[in-house]
Amino acid sequence: MMASSEYRRPFAQNAPRIYSVGTANPPHRYTQQEVLDLYGEKDWKIRSIFLGGHIATRHLYLPEPVNGHVPEESNEELIAKHLRGALEIGPKAIERCLTPLGLAPYDIDFLCCISSTGFLCPGITAHLIRKMGFRESIRRSDILGMGCNAGINGLQAVTDFAKANPGKWALLVCVEICSAAYVYNRSLNTAVVNSLFGDGAAALLVRCDPHASWKDGPRVVDFEPHIIPEAIRAMRFDLEDNKLSFYLDRDIPYVIGLNVRKPIGRLLGRHQLKKRHIQHWVVHSGGKKVIDAIAYNLGLTRYDLRHTVSVLRDYGNLSSASFIFSYKELCLENVVHEGDLAVMITMGPGTSIETALLAW
Amino acid sequence: MAMKTYETLKVTQEGTVVTVALHRPQVRNAINMQMVHDLMDVVEIVADANDVDVLVLRGSEGIFSQGIDLRDFSLDKPPDIYGLQKWEKMCRQIETLNKFTVAAVEGHCIGGGVQLVLLCDARLAEKKAVFQLNEVKQGFLPGMATFRLAKYVGLGRAKSLVLRGKPFKAEEALALGILDEVCDRVSFEETLQRVVGELRPFHADALELARRLLNECYAVDYETFIGHFLAAQHRAINSQAFRELIVKAASPKKAQNALKG
Repeated sequence: MMASSEYRRPFAQNAPRIYSVGTANPPHRYTQQEVLDLYGEKDWKIRSIFLGGHIATRHLYLPEPVNGHVPEESNEELIAKHLRGALEIGPKAIERCLTPLGLAPYDIDFLCCISSTGFLCPGITAHLIRKMGFRESIRRSDILGMGCNAGINGLQAVTDFAKANPGKWALLVCVEICSAAYVYNRSLNTAVVNSLFGDGAAALLVRCDPHASWKDGPRVVDFEPHIIPEAIRAMRFDLEDNKLSFYLDRDIPYVIGLNVRKPIGRLLGRHQLKKRHIQHWVVHSGGKKVIDAIAYNLGLTRYDLRHTVSVLRDYGNLSSASFIFSYKELCLENVVHEGDLAVMITMGPGTSIETALLAW
Repeated sequence: MAMKTYETLKVTQEGTVVTVALHRPQVRNAINMQMVHDLMDVVEIVADANDVDVLVLRGSEGIFSQGIDLRDFSLDKPPDIYGLQKWEKMCRQIETLNKFTVAAVEGHCIGGGVQLVLLCDARLAEKKAVFQLNEVKQGFLPGMATFRLAKYVGLGRAKSLVLRGKPFKAEEALALGILDEVCDRVSFEETLQRVVGELRPFHADALELARRLLNECYAVDYETFIGHFLAAQHRAINSQAFRELIVKAASPKKAQNALKG
């Protein structure tokens, strides 16, 4: 019998690989204190939610202050801000993803865009094609309204495309202008949302090439979803004053923690893997409570979750884009070896937990 | 659990208890690289075994271990840190194992031997056992005992034990909190049996969570820690064990209804 630590399985050698990653944020960055000051917030309960959430700074599209305070934004202004922001930081993330490989939008064969922070028609892909010069023959999908977990749902789409079309480039773009889904009605629920979510865009480039090596990027080996239908109302958009207002149930972080072992057990079990075989964990920066719940249910250490925690601290919760920011931090560390495995976890409305297995 | 034979260990299973005896009698159970690999292997097998709830770590032929085997280092090339890193990785696997761990010490327990004892949930020794962290005296470091020891004994005593490197007896180790049980040599096996018995019943979730929180208790502030605690306790009270507990506590009628439901 071989020791399990020496166990290496030649995972689907011709699975598509993630070749590149790019991220972008709005130019303005705010501390939690600055946001409180801009909204003239005096309520100590709301202030403590902002200052105790383990977030230091966020990049946000906030309106120009008038007499030191930000004016209220109408629903029309919020919708316009979503598109304007998406078309500013989306292209930046795409360029940062393509340029290192000497690629241009014209080279991309499939474009999949994710957003949950504004409804629009035509979708973001159409706007990006017009703005950036993608081919008029490009295949595209817009995934709207799936929430924080949607990045992995999008990764499933680009991976499937890449697998079915070897040699073709598939580009995933998550662009979230969470500040376009802010409602200031002084309730504690909206305070939690307004203190947590930040603006950001992230892109991943995927292709299937049998001649590529681990140095080109990790193979996307497998996915395992888990949905908790009885918690369908735990995270959702409500309408308040005709504006979309995100609702977040108090207990949902712990419910996610309790359920996260199920998809992880199935994903690892299917490949005869144990948790100790996974070198890297790329977990959505949902918030302090859900990060703790995942840590103590999966037995992940502070080291395992270092990027999840640092992305939350530096950017807030970027919804579907967060885990790609963590993935980028991992790549920048240069700690990955040939044969290493990573598990990605995102969680969001549904209530939904999405997982993916990567192999270098 | 499927048993294997090892060059440096004797591994036996009795019921749900696996006993790993360090076994290099010709060199007083000194720890070499082979032993590190063997320990890592057996610990991983124990981690995956569903029919094991306690791992006992002990010596053999009246000695626990005399510490690191310096003969293992080559004279031809500069020593590298990676073997020692492997040792620390193995230690961490024992410290976070998903079973109860017991260190049972007879005779000399020196250097790396003491480091192994510090990893375990229950730590006992016979009266004549002698402990010593002699690494600094010899010009190197007692591994991550530098991280663990002060949490057991306090910084002052840790400095004394590590920097002065004096041998200390089982009774003293008991008073310091390094051991939690000391017995006569004649009653060693009997005491070990009792200690193993007292650890049960085995609730894997509760063990993992309580031990992790205890190991982390010096590392973070109250606000961070209570977040960790609540996440851990939420998992514990949603376990099968807790469910059975509240069913038992309920009135017979309520329990019957709950079981039906």
